Amino acid sequence: MRGLLPFLGQRMLFILPQLFGILLVSFFLIKSIPGDPAVLMLGPTATGDAVAALRTKLGLDHALPMQFWYFLVDLVHGDLGTSWQTTRPVLEDLLQRFPATLELVTFGLLLAILVGVPFGVASASHERGWLGRIANAYGLTAGALPDFWLALVLIFVFYTILQVVPAPLGRIDFAVLPPPTVTGFLTVDSLLAGDWAAFASAASHLCLPVLTLGLVNAGPILKMTQSTVERMLHSDYSRYEVLSGLPRGMVVRHALRNALPSIITIISVLYGYLLGGAVLVEIVFSWGGAGQYAVQGVLNSDIYPVLGFVLLSAIFSLFVYLAVDILYFAIDPRIGR
Amino acid sequence: MPEAEATTGAIAETGRTSRLATLLQVARARPRFALGYVIVLAAVLAGALAPLVAPYSPVEANPAEFLQPPSAQHWLGTDAVGMDIFSRVIYAPRIDLAIAVAGTLLSAVVGCLIGAWVGYHSRGGGLRGWLAYLVMRAADVMQAFPVFVFAIALVASLGQSVQTVVLAIAFVNIPIYLRLMRSQVMTIREMRYVEASLVAGLSDARTIARHVMPNAMGPALAQLSVNVGWSILLTAGLSFVGAGVRSPTPEWGSMIASGFQNVVTGEWWPSVFPGLALAVTVFGFSLIGSSVELFADPVKMRRLTRDLAARRRERAA
Repeated sequence: MRGLLPFLGQRMLFILPQLFGILLVSFFLIKSIPGDPAVLMLGPTATGDAVAALRTKLGLDHALPMQFWYFLVDLVHGDLGTSWQTTRPVLEDLLQRFPATLELVTFGLLLAILVGVPFGVASASHERGWLGRIANAYGLTAGALPDFWLALVLIFVFYTILQVVPAPLGRIDFAVLPPPTVTGFLTVDSLLAGDWAAFASAASHLCLPVLTLGLVNAGPILKMTQSTVERMLHSDYSRYEVLSGLPRGMVVRHALRNALPSIITIISVLYGYLLGGAVLVEIVFSWGGAGQYAVQGVLNSDIYPVLGFVLLSAIFSLFVYLAVDILYFAIDPRIGR
Repeated sequence: MPEAEATTGAIAETGRTSRLATLLQVARARPRFALGYVIVLAAVLAGALAPLVAPYSPVEANPAEFLQPPSAQHWLGTDAVGMDIFSRVIYAPRIDLAIAVAGTLLSAVVGCLIGAWVGYHSRGGGLRGWLAYLVMRAADVMQAFPVFVFAIALVASLGQSVQTVVLAIAFVNIPIYLRLMRSQVMTIREMRYVEASLVAGLSDARTIARHVMPNAMGPALAQLSVNVGWSILLTAGLSFVGAGVRSPTPEWGSMIASGFQNVVTGEWWPSVFPGLALAVTVFGFSLIGSSVELFADPVKMRRLTRDLAARRRERAA
């Protein structure tokens, strides 16, 4: 593990300028959206004086670069600003909503891995068989499906017709008391509290959105697994193993192990992407997640929720990438030893 | 006849037939690729011929006939305000395809030009090398954004219209082409013929345009088709949250969104049909994309033509 620490240090060195760049761009982008928050907050009947007073209070009367500077100063003190829509500090809002999105995305991605990797391996090792054909067709179809549409179709089938899942309204039944917050994942928290009613409700609300995300995102994972494992199986060491008479299963297992870095990379990219990318599915299921919060912010000139979300998801992606780099060290003996 | 076919197969194997002939061979051996071209052609034709084919106006509401299920009068039913869904579904490619194709082409042109310039100057020092470095870091920042939130913010800040959706899609796609082109150009820049062109007295710009770009375009071109499909999804997604094309303009995403509440109560047709049209079209573009990918991969092509020739010989025997 000798090369790991300097590598991580170098990585950290690049993160700060990048985060700064992301904040800078999003700040000026959101500020350039027409619409004055002060006017929006007070409504159409407000007097000019009231609007001016509120603008001063919010710091909107300063020049844009000054406003950005104040935002940065507050940020360093752990203050992400206040959302005028929820009238609560953005940090509080996000701490509540981020786990909601994370729970959805994590389970969705787990399902996608469970579908994508075995299918991909199977289709790579039986290129010309029916399994290969099905996997090929699935890979192409899954990439073409709009997730928000698939969500609607699933709702129609499983809620409207079969009535086996609850209505697509949030994360838990209104009648069920949510468990005390520990991780923010309702399923995990209810298990920790030993509250089976809450767990059943949360799990049943998770079913359809997780199924949607899982089915759609299994596509890219399947394709990546298939193409990398296929390449590994055509490589010299695999041919040598076949010639030496090793069992087929073992050859495939070795090929998969060598394909793992690419598969882990695509999974990590999807993880980061889905935090914001799952927003359409969140909207369909009224999930109340972080992505939905940010989109509402953009559509209503509410800048701080957007900045907070962009910052948090960028940091999250960076951590995922870091974890992936550490994983590489663990699985690939050629790196850093 | 079988003998003649076996010969063409053998010729293709040595790579002497024309590219078109090989492409036709591939299409015959892998019918799903042909399907991709058929689907996209059908979508384009539907959009082009919509005024002739559509039985109703795509934007006129008829409140007397709201939420009619599919029938002989309304093939795909009507939506909540009584607009004919079939007419709207076949008009929609005019908007969806136009936006996706325009956005993708724009991003490809801009991304490739910047990418070529950056790649050409990347290893150089001085002001240009520094500028190239800066462009790459800007691309890093752009790609670190949550794509969807970024696109919505762009549309919102530029004002909601078809043109701004095109711009937003072009903008979020630029880094893809920029990176592809840069890495290509960085390899080609070291080639002898580039050196020769410079020694012969051609300017940097002319060398890039005449000798570097044409040789570096391959991967970017292969990306185009898949990217169009992806842009259609993004366009529809933007309309779905209300940040894209506005109703009553016929557009698949906003049609799905407007039928959203009806699906929950059991009227599935206002959302399901436009979504199906959207999914099939994107599917067609990804098929074309994978045919181009296969066509551009010499190893896989060789394996395929060899298999084809073997199969023909078998049949002939």
